[in-house]
Amino acid sequence: MASEPSAGDVIAVEGLTFRYPVGKEDVLAGIDLRVRNGEFLGITGSSGAGKSTLCLCLRGLIPHSLGGQMKGAVTVAGRRTTEVSPAQLGESVGLVFQDPEAQIIGLSVEEDLAFGPENYAWPRDRIRERIREVLAMVRLEGLETRETYSLSGGQKQRVAIAAALMMLPQVLILDEPTSELDPIGKEEVFATIRRLKEERDITIVMVEHAVEQLAQFADRIIVMDKGHIVAEDPPRALFRNVELFHHLDGERVPQVAEVLFALERDGLLQPDQFTPLEDEAVRVLAAGLEGRHGY
Amino acid sequence: MATDRDPIVAAHGVSFRYAGSDANALESVDLAIARGEFLAFVGQNGAGKTTLAKLFNGLLTPTTGDVVVDGSSTHKVGIDFLSKIVGYCYQNPDHQIFSNTVREEVAFGLKHHGVPAAAAAESVTEALRLVGLEHQADRYPFLLGRGERQKLAVASILALGPPVLVIDEPTTGLDLGGTRSIMRLLRQLNESGRTVIIITHDMNVVAEYAPRTVVISKGRVIRDGSTRDVLTNEAALREAFLRPPQITRVALRLHERCGFPAGILTVDEFLTAYRSRAANTTTRAAARPASRGQG
Amino acid sequence: MPVGYSIYQERDSVLHQRIDPRTKFALLVTSFVLALAYNHPAVLGLLTATVIGAAWWSRLDFRRFLPILLAAGWFLVLGILVWPFYIQVGPPLFFIFGSAITITGLLFGLAMGLRVSLMVAAAGVWMMTTSPQKMTLGLVRMGLPQKAGIAMSTAIRLVPLLNAKRATIVEAQRARGLRLDTGNPLARARKSVSVLGPLLLSAIDLAQAIAIAMDARGFGARAERTSLVQIELTRLDRIILAACGMAIVASVVLRLLGIGVIVQGYL
Repeated sequence: MASEPSAGDVIAVEGLTFRYPVGKEDVLAGIDLRVRNGEFLGITGSSGAGKSTLCLCLRGLIPHSLGGQMKGAVTVAGRRTTEVSPAQLGESVGLVFQDPEAQIIGLSVEEDLAFGPENYAWPRDRIRERIREVLAMVRLEGLETRETYSLSGGQKQRVAIAAALMMLPQVLILDEPTSELDPIGKEEVFATIRRLKEERDITIVMVEHAVEQLAQFADRIIVMDKGHIVAEDPPRALFRNVELFHHLDGERVPQVAEVLFALERDGLLQPDQFTPLEDEAVRVLAAGLEGRHGY
Repeated sequence: MATDRDPIVAAHGVSFRYAGSDANALESVDLAIARGEFLAFVGQNGAGKTTLAKLFNGLLTPTTGDVVVDGSSTHKVGIDFLSKIVGYCYQNPDHQIFSNTVREEVAFGLKHHGVPAAAAAESVTEALRLVGLEHQADRYPFLLGRGERQKLAVASILALGPPVLVIDEPTTGLDLGGTRSIMRLLRQLNESGRTVIIITHDMNVVAEYAPRTVVISKGRVIRDGSTRDVLTNEAALREAFLRPPQITRVALRLHERCGFPAGILTVDEFLTAYRSRAANTTTRAAARPASRGQG
Repeated sequence: MPVGYSIYQERDSVLHQRIDPRTKFALLVTSFVLALAYNHPAVLGLLTATVIGAAWWSRLDFRRFLPILLAAGWFLVLGILVWPFYIQVGPPLFFIFGSAITITGLLFGLAMGLRVSLMVAAAGVWMMTTSPQKMTLGLVRMGLPQKAGIAMSTAIRLVPLLNAKRATIVEAQRARGLRLDTGNPLARARKSVSVLGPLLLSAIDLAQAIAIAMDARGFGARAERTSLVQIELTRLDRIILAACGMAIVASVVLRLLGIGVIVQGYL
């Protein structure tokens, strides 16, 4: 299902299978995937589909930090993950985990942000300068000396994103960064990701259940189920495949996509009017009610 | 003497302040919950939802005002009495599971309430049957999936036979399949006569399952009414930093633009309303073909 | 009041900001050596007063320092109450339960109490004026392995987190009918499994997750790490370190000469 290889690919996964040391089944069962430089790739699918495991593979933590049986090849930023250590890959790939508590290492914000570059022996002044830059990117200016414990969930997760950005990575991987947050926290994180996407010089891979947001951000979305990629398309085409999602128990399409698809089947809308985006959907639906066709 | 017509849980002018804090976590809350209701508490983290629920089962008692559960003031009766009436199920099932088998886990509460072994075994079997874990009774709890562990936590509360269930964030960390499964269970428990209170951020879950919604913001109840009224009042929700489900938002925008019905909570309701509107528009357009040509 | 990471208090004082954590560690060690070298209450009293004076000079919040003073005071009382029964040198002052209580005995008890109080107060001042970051870095510079240093600061980071988890678990079990405060000790121990079990499991989960998060951020990428926090031995540090060295040598010499000692034959 993967597209043709090209020189612009920053991630190339070929025939990837993986089984955890204690597992009886393959968590990833033959994944082929290519991601272009600067692309925003969304990943969705039910619990246990292998999404987080794929993230760990892309960051090289599998097989190095977690063991298990891995087959196939994962190449990220020009390097085979089996041939370099996670530390060596760390200057090209950043990873943000789901639980904000389980990834903050420092006692203060600046200490946490400095942890990565300290490992790579950056000089002090450069670390300080970069801390200022990334805090501006996640809109947490001036919080350098705050104790990480006293931050809200959304702030903690933005610190985690900032920490991943410290090393100027080519690729940023986010594994369900909003699922543990309340609505304000979710909105803060999505706003941060929206800004990162606008800046456009970074490739983003994001696992997310909030399909309405994913439809907005992603250039392309893959749907995973039981270790396989079962669908792979830009949001507009993917979410039109409403029936596929009805068969998958774990995920749904945005509500507007469901509505537009049903109205299309009724003959009330044209196929080219389909959209998974809320604003566009309102325009299409209003036009339909006012007896006009098109925009 | 309490009668069936009296609320099962009522708060009268309740304020609460945590020891050592200089602000009230709850401020003049008045609320009456009837037997057999299914309602949702919504609001941000720290808004006071969980504090309010803890006042119902006696984990906390009001600083001022009174909480009356089944006719008794919580100032007068202790948690031993209250935990048999209001079952409180915590957000993360892993914060309570520790036994070697599913059966023992469910029996935990009964044992501490001094229920004789034979009667306890019967209650355990019944609770496991209700949540659909009767065939897993002898398994190790940590080998269950997250959704099943959530159900196990519910079963361990159900075994005590409380007429009121408070479930804190039942769907956090679950995918769509897991969410549906636990919410259908709660609906079924409600239909068999139990009062169900869910604490949640997930407005789609609220729209689909809870007929009544209480919005809590900064320690106050800022809205309390039918879910349809509450979720279609975008301004009030915004005050609590919440947003209605996408389909409700779209209907509200269409309502402003062209008088579409505003009180929509689900995709099916939307489609029914849209189809009948579109039929009228077509008829009108056919009757007056020249009036709407410009598009 | 939220539970913080440590009892450290950020202040703009000489002891907080101008003195290197290694020097402060040397001061702590010196105060311990001096506490053990003398057993005369006048000397120990003077040293204890100096340490408390340092706390005041560093503008530590008195309410936060109070528990340390109370602990010190408790050891002082204990010393005065216990030692006179063992040290019976000189004419008896009065008798309790047939035991002769002497002036020297009372003074020695006072000294032993002051000795522990001095150590408690010095450790308190050290922890309250040295941030966990600088403390770790100081220890690493003195030869503590890098990984042990990181482990130390991670452990500090987990304190408030596990504390909050423990509170949640206790509540969740109370909601199911658990009464931790009733029953005989054996029953209580058995009940505490329902709290310690989930707490231990979530602590293990958390520790594993944090270890993976550290790998994700390149832990161990280079043999030498840099550090955002800068510590450097200044002229002031060198003067203090020299003074510490001299104080230790002097105290040992004085001890051997029997000066500053009220009772011979006891440490």
